Amino acid sequence: MPIEVVLLFAWMLVIAFLAFIACTFEDLESDTGSQSNPNSQVQLAAQVGQVNRFFNKAISGEPLSNAMYSATAGTVAWVLLQKFEPLVPDAKWKVAILAIPLGVLAAAMVHVIFATTAHCGRTAAQKRFEQPIYLDVLYGHLLPIATHGFMTTFCITSIAYIQSNIGYLAFGLENHPLNHPFALPLLCFIWGITVGSIGSSTGDIHYGTEREFQDRPFGEGKRVVYHGKITRYADCGIRTQRDIVGFCAKFGGPCTGLTFGLIILFENYRTLVGMRLGGFLSALPAITRPEEMFILAGDLAAIWGIVVGLLIGIALTAGNMVLVKWLRKRYGPFVGV
Amino acid sequence: MTVTPAVEEEVVVAAKPKKGFTFPGDETNLGIIAGVIATIIVLIPGLPAVIKAVGMIFAFLWGMDSVRKTSKYGLGTGVPSIGVLATGYGIIGALVGAACAHVVGSIGPVAPGVLGGVVLMAIVGYLSGVFSNHEKIIGMKIPKLERGMMELGMAGTIGILLEFSIVAGSLDFGLVVEKAISSGLVAIMFILGGMSMFHPYNACLGPDERRERTMMVSVEISGLLSVILGIALLVMGSPWGIGDGISLIIFGALVWLVFYRRFIQACMKECYATVGTGLIKTLG
Repeated sequence: MPIEVVLLFAWMLVIAFLAFIACTFEDLESDTGSQSNPNSQVQLAAQVGQVNRFFNKAISGEPLSNAMYSATAGTVAWVLLQKFEPLVPDAKWKVAILAIPLGVLAAAMVHVIFATTAHCGRTAAQKRFEQPIYLDVLYGHLLPIATHGFMTTFCITSIAYIQSNIGYLAFGLENHPLNHPFALPLLCFIWGITVGSIGSSTGDIHYGTEREFQDRPFGEGKRVVYHGKITRYADCGIRTQRDIVGFCAKFGGPCTGLTFGLIILFENYRTLVGMRLGGFLSALPAITRPEEMFILAGDLAAIWGIVVGLLIGIALTAGNMVLVKWLRKRYGPFVGV
Repeated sequence: MTVTPAVEEEVVVAAKPKKGFTFPGDETNLGIIAGVIATIIVLIPGLPAVIKAVGMIFAFLWGMDSVRKTSKYGLGTGVPSIGVLATGYGIIGALVGAACAHVVGSIGPVAPGVLGGVVLMAIVGYLSGVFSNHEKIIGMKIPKLERGMMELGMAGTIGILLEFSIVAGSLDFGLVVEKAISSGLVAIMFILGGMSMFHPYNACLGPDERRERTMMVSVEISGLLSVILGIALLVMGSPWGIGDGISLIIFGALVWLVFYRRFIQACMKECYATVGTGLIKTLG
């Protein structure tokens, strides 16, 4: 197998690893800011009399807010890359090492600004429920929010840089650019929406079975009016989100990261395997071939990719069914059905 | 063209509170004032970026007010969705507007063709409002949805057109596609433009929400957007030279600083209590 093909698979693994880290921290960041996990409780808790010391970071849902941080980071990084790449034409990667963290830093600042407006705005709008603004809660949560968000945005921007039309996959492979059409900010935007969606839909263990309804099998069946209680007392003292991050870092965060990482891994894996089976990769100097052959190889790559994707999908569905059947047999039916 | 301090002061003063806030109190008044100012600015694509940013702030303020108006009946998690819909309208409308301007041509510095996109999105928005509310079609029966959707389409289109015209330096279709869309900058325009329309109401949601306070967030986010577009402008280049980008960054930072400070102060003053720390109320 040519070294370029091996390298492509290696880059795929790098991207999957970065995705794993990104979504792990995304889930933990949303716990710090109560954007996903205890979010509904925080909005409602004060209204049902449960005054709390939680940080209310309502930045329009995780997909959009993560798209914003990533797009900001991507834009600033892209500007710096455009500005400084001409200075070192032989080693453009040196600019990326500077530009991506600086762009992500700008995004972290924007993140903190939005977090403060959301917390202060929402708390002020709950005046009649006697929910005060605790300044130590406000200041104390900003740094964890910024740092967890930094990790997510950094990984997402790195993935976008590797894939975009200025990254390694576009130019790094000698004479065989893959010519990814998307620009860096646009890819950051798309990946940001994706990481936010996965983080929003997966790994909400605090909201669900593991904390709030620990005494119930599969955690079902408490009335909504009690949901606000989750915001009040921790194992020792009054609960803030820093307790929740510690709790979720053990299982919920890595679980979410694994979901996103596996999605990225399988998706890229089926594409690359499809390209390999379709004859698109083994003859990498594709540009020199007749155009009809090039198009044919591309079509075959797409067909193989779809077939491999279907196989992976069937395997996952079957595995899931076996697991759920075993679980129900082992632990009984869902309570409350 | 370098910094235009006169404009900066004018904007800050125009929307600056004296006691309480002096944003136009009525939704219709605000719509008319903001719409007319933004439309006049969008019609002249050759203006410096700072003036376009002023128009952008007004357009997004209008959009935010429409989001608030549409969502006020009790839409919770749908607030961001409405805002994203407005930005989506905006992107399509802005492209149509730039294409119309290309076809119609310009009369002196004025490019009347851009209004084609605005009018189209007004019609599309109104129709979608009618379809959503009509009993025989979807029947959501949301009060004032038709007007809200129409205004959202118009405000979104004008806002995105102004963003395009800031980055591209004009509304020439080829330049817009090359500098704003192919470069990927459309992503940041989409999300931050949308944020300045839907984040304010989403962030201030609650029974004690106050309209003027919500509006401050919109202006503040538009300031941030101006800073980022100014940074992008330094690379994209502008017919007005490097001063265009720098003045936009300074203007955006000033607007952000003034309105962010005022918003946080207003929140801390108007909430139930602002305390350094404290225990929670014990339930009886």
